[in-house]
Amino acid sequence: MHRFLRLSVFFAGLLMAMASQANTTAQPLTTADDLGPQVDQPIEFPHDRHAGDADKGGMQINCMYCHTYARRSIVAGIPPLQKCIGCHQGIESVRETPRIKKLFEYWEGSADGTIAAKTPIPWKKVHDLPDFVRFNHERHIQRFYFQQEKPVQEVCGYCHGDVKTMTVARRSKSLSMGWCVSCHEKDHPLDATSTMTSQGPNDCWQCHK
Amino acid sequence: MSVTNLLENWSQFRHKHPVEDKPHAEYKWAMSIDLDACTGCNACSVACYAENNLPVVGKEKYSHGFSHHWMRIERYWDEDGREFPDQGAQFLPMMCQHCEAAPCETVCPVGATNHTGDGLNSQVYNRCIGSRYCEANCPYKVRYFNWYDYPTTNNVWPEPMNQQLNPDVTVRGKGVMEKCTFCVQRLTVAKSDARSQGRTVRDGEVQTACQQACPTGAITFGNLVDPEARVGKQWMQQQVELAVDHQAKDQHEHAEQASKLRGYRIFEELRPYPSVMYLERVRESAV
Amino acid sequence: MIENSFNRRDFLKVLGWGGAAVTLSGCGNTSVEDGRELVTSYSEPAEYVIPSIGVYFNSTCAQCDAGCNIMGKVREGRVLKLEGNSQSAINRGKMCGLGQAGVQAHYNPDRLREPLLRTGDKGEAISWDTALELINAKLDGVQGNQIAFLTGGISGHVNVLLKNYIDALGSAKHFAYEAVAPSVVRAANKKAYGVEMPRLRLDKAKVIVSFGADFLGAWVSPVHFAQQYAQFRKASNGGRGVLVQIESKMTLTGANADRWLAIRPGTEGILALGLINALGAGGVKVAADAAGAAKAYTPERVSTETGISVEQITKLAALLKERTPSLVIAGSAAEGYAHGSHNAAAIALLNQALGNVGKTVEFPAALPFPQIAPTVGNRYALHALNDDMAHDQVKVLFNFGANPVFTAPAGLKFKENLGKVPFKVAFAHYMDETALQADLVLPLDSALEEWGTSVPEYAAEGAQLNVHQPLMEKLYPGTRATGDILLALLKLRRAQEYKGYEDFYAYLRSALVQNKAALGGSGKDDDTFWSATLSNGLVKLPGASNAARKTSATTLVFPAPAAQDGAYPLRLIPAVTANMRDGRHANQPWLQESPDPLTTIVWDSWVEIHPKTAARLGIVEGDIVEVASKSGTLKAQAYLFPGIHPDAISIPLGYGHQAMGRYAKDIGANAFHIMDAVFDSETGELAMHETRVKISPTGQRVVIVKDEGSAGGKQMGKKIAVRVSSEKVDLSEEV
Repeated sequence: MHRFLRLSVFFAGLLMAMASQANTTAQPLTTADDLGPQVDQPIEFPHDRHAGDADKGGMQINCMYCHTYARRSIVAGIPPLQKCIGCHQGIESVRETPRIKKLFEYWEGSADGTIAAKTPIPWKKVHDLPDFVRFNHERHIQRFYFQQEKPVQEVCGYCHGDVKTMTVARRSKSLSMGWCVSCHEKDHPLDATSTMTSQGPNDCWQCHK
Repeated sequence: MSVTNLLENWSQFRHKHPVEDKPHAEYKWAMSIDLDACTGCNACSVACYAENNLPVVGKEKYSHGFSHHWMRIERYWDEDGREFPDQGAQFLPMMCQHCEAAPCETVCPVGATNHTGDGLNSQVYNRCIGSRYCEANCPYKVRYFNWYDYPTTNNVWPEPMNQQLNPDVTVRGKGVMEKCTFCVQRLTVAKSDARSQGRTVRDGEVQTACQQACPTGAITFGNLVDPEARVGKQWMQQQVELAVDHQAKDQHEHAEQASKLRGYRIFEELRPYPSVMYLERVRESAV
Repeated sequence: MIENSFNRRDFLKVLGWGGAAVTLSGCGNTSVEDGRELVTSYSEPAEYVIPSIGVYFNSTCAQCDAGCNIMGKVREGRVLKLEGNSQSAINRGKMCGLGQAGVQAHYNPDRLREPLLRTGDKGEAISWDTALELINAKLDGVQGNQIAFLTGGISGHVNVLLKNYIDALGSAKHFAYEAVAPSVVRAANKKAYGVEMPRLRLDKAKVIVSFGADFLGAWVSPVHFAQQYAQFRKASNGGRGVLVQIESKMTLTGANADRWLAIRPGTEGILALGLINALGAGGVKVAADAAGAAKAYTPERVSTETGISVEQITKLAALLKERTPSLVIAGSAAEGYAHGSHNAAAIALLNQALGNVGKTVEFPAALPFPQIAPTVGNRYALHALNDDMAHDQVKVLFNFGANPVFTAPAGLKFKENLGKVPFKVAFAHYMDETALQADLVLPLDSALEEWGTSVPEYAAEGAQLNVHQPLMEKLYPGTRATGDILLALLKLRRAQEYKGYEDFYAYLRSALVQNKAALGGSGKDDDTFWSATLSNGLVKLPGASNAARKTSATTLVFPAPAAQDGAYPLRLIPAVTANMRDGRHANQPWLQESPDPLTTIVWDSWVEIHPKTAARLGIVEGDIVEVASKSGTLKAQAYLFPGIHPDAISIPLGYGHQAMGRYAKDIGANAFHIMDAVFDSETGELAMHETRVKISPTGQRVVIVKDEGSAGGKQMGKKIAVRVSSEKVDLSEEV
């Protein structure tokens, strides 16, 4: 049953690919949005407040200030609770707002005892990839942010969308294989001295583990 | 390999012969195994189980040939009919040879196994439909099929044994083919780290699990493109060339010189152009 | 470390386990769980924790006594894989299969999880406090000399606590028992060289003659020896080394020999003396006492008794004369007889005659801290304990992880005698055969969960103290480390002395830090010294050099060639394989599924028979045969094996568990249980190769589950595994 299904998926894929035209001219890295579900999180974390532009009331914090693992690891990871507390214990002005009170419940334990002290916040996944996919955050950030010196929000935004305008994050790109490939097949604009190939790698084992 | 690639020229990923006009740019992973150092102890094989989430299938399934030892030790006796094998046994570690013109690649109906730019013979579980043509066409018999859904089979990974599974390697389900990957998950990490530093992987920076465990250091693994790599030096000294099916050792005109060479590739005559060179076992003539 | 088990499990689902479901869906379909699954996060991660990047912690392998230094790859709070520690002089970053399987001892689903008290036939779960109080209560009113301790080989600070506890109880009965230890060779070495375990320099030797020492497989320190062997073969000191293995059943080492000689079982010493004789005749200067001992052993006589041809003896003597230094090793096959001590002594004498002592046989430095020195296990201990139990002299028995009900030869009637002990406490990882007989079972931490130290008996370069540290949090809250249990018991006896130590970790840290000057940490502050020690995973110990001692040859007596025993015509050779050894790791499935290198059999016992003997008895491969000795019988599949003397059969040890766990129970047959209780004449050690058997087909036949394929391991004319003669190549020129 599964095998037949898979074959038909394969042939459908062939037809679709024939209809589309492979593109070889330089193109921007952004793609159209493809919204994921709205996810309710234990704390409605305001990305706009932290990372948003100053003229819109944001603090323009670099994404990697909190998401510190992204430049060093395959996975971006979720900032540890300690990170939030590190700043917020010194910010008295918002200490009594509902979200920050909730935050401190995870750190200090809740009054009713339902949350133990230092409980990691049970965030839900927003950007999930299948388990067989090896997507390497470090590699992309190293290339686009550190080597090509593009703005960090643009680099993260290739895949995560315009997070600085969101409160809790919402997936805004499809993150499907076809979507990944659509970028890897483009001729990226590179500076003339770079030794790097213009395309991203295209063999299966680069992403499939 | 995307669908577009597939359509444009699938055959470029399914070599019938090493493509001379498209040499490997940065990497060509290859191995050499010294049979004189190999003791047949099986450490490599167990290390492979640990690294690559190989299922332990149990006696009954093993008897049907369903074992999953990507790295196996073959043992051969002399066939001269003497009373005792007084020159010992011959051990041979056998795993996917990552052939440059892999017989498995050309028969896959769905392009699930093909060649990567690094010269690896890749196996993509998602694309595999389980036809097993590749297994049939592999002269080395190093492809292993998942006849069962081992993750849900009793006593394969019972709690808490599943906590040992390597998160970098997919746990394969029923109906797909699998085989040695030259520990591609390690290669990917090493390549990425090197790229971040603007260089290529240095010799010795990345080891396969079998190589790392081998107590006698019989296994050498590395990048054939890198002139500093030990594996390349070995290939060169033994005059074994990747894209040739008749090595110096086989040339009769140089018989005397050629007899000093120990390097050979198994089933060279079938022209799969394997990426693994073996060094002949040496036995003392004085006793 | 990850904060709680919930997270750990969840992480597993995300990164490892989920892949299973995924392969079932084709291209385009994914198991993406946006907004449904939780994402793992930390509250206060250590600085070095980066998700998806492994952190390595150094520790020590506990799978055998070699004491290889290892490092565990830890990710997201789980230990995933063990690798060798490259700073170790013992294993230099390498590992064997047995060691690799250590993670399966840790994650084993059949591990004991809480203390169990026997009520009738059942075990009732009790708390640790109750268990320790119960032990203390049972010890009251029992005389010190009626309390016995049975352990395996033990060393380091656990040994210190154990000695102190034994002392606190007024007992002097510590029986250190190892079923397959080279105890007779140790005793012979002590006599011949003055040390029990000289350092063998395989790498310096040009010729190695091994009398049944499986140093590449399961003897003493195989990973260390395998590395030396690689250098020996690589011609690093000019000329590729030649290995001659002399034994009645081919071991893994024998399979790697240039020349493998099938010797009549038990005549190893005779051949050694014959070689001394031939060397003397060939013009080598042999000391008078050795020459005298060997005088009667002419090549012709030796050939008749050993079955090795005169030509072969002459060739071997010529080789030994020509290529020096050489190294002669006595292994477990030579020592396994009632005259095993004499075999081992004769082999040591051959080393002396060849002038190898001081060249390839070196002397390790004496250990500076005798209290942490290894108490090595032997087989005499079991014999002695068994006698005590048989005479009702043991009222309370503590058993630390040894499994004598499984490993004792039937002839000792060990299980019966154990029943006479009123209160038996077993410290155990599994509910094994011995734990099943206990009155109280205390579950132990796995080797990857506990703190400890050990001192390997075989010193690779110099003496070293190995550090054992936890590689992850405990899987089960109800298990405890051996050190912690001993400390708790000691607190019940010597509260004042031990009250300062909250747990064994505190004790260990304090013990090492107090001695930091002697451990190479002088001038460092305590914390720096301690963290350096943990991060290295070992401490090299200084030691005074130990001069060679040469003793003269003692009278060596060898039995006359035995007349054929009509009732039991064959000799049983219990094989110690690298995977199974004495069977304590039989519940680790990688070891069961990893083929025996020589027969390629998996998941079962087998009986190795020479094809000639099999033909005579009408046995073909796969026949279920009954093997009977004076002490018992077993049934197993016959495997026709050319690498065995026709007068012998061989059965691997370690199979045939009746308990222990799902991967070990009912797999194969237990060869220990048909062994006769025969002892070495000098040391009183159990002689492992003295059992005589008869063998008969039962009429049943099975297809052997093995890896060699239908061609039976033949190359069928193909060029697969190729061999070349040494005169044709020069390895010293190779890369």
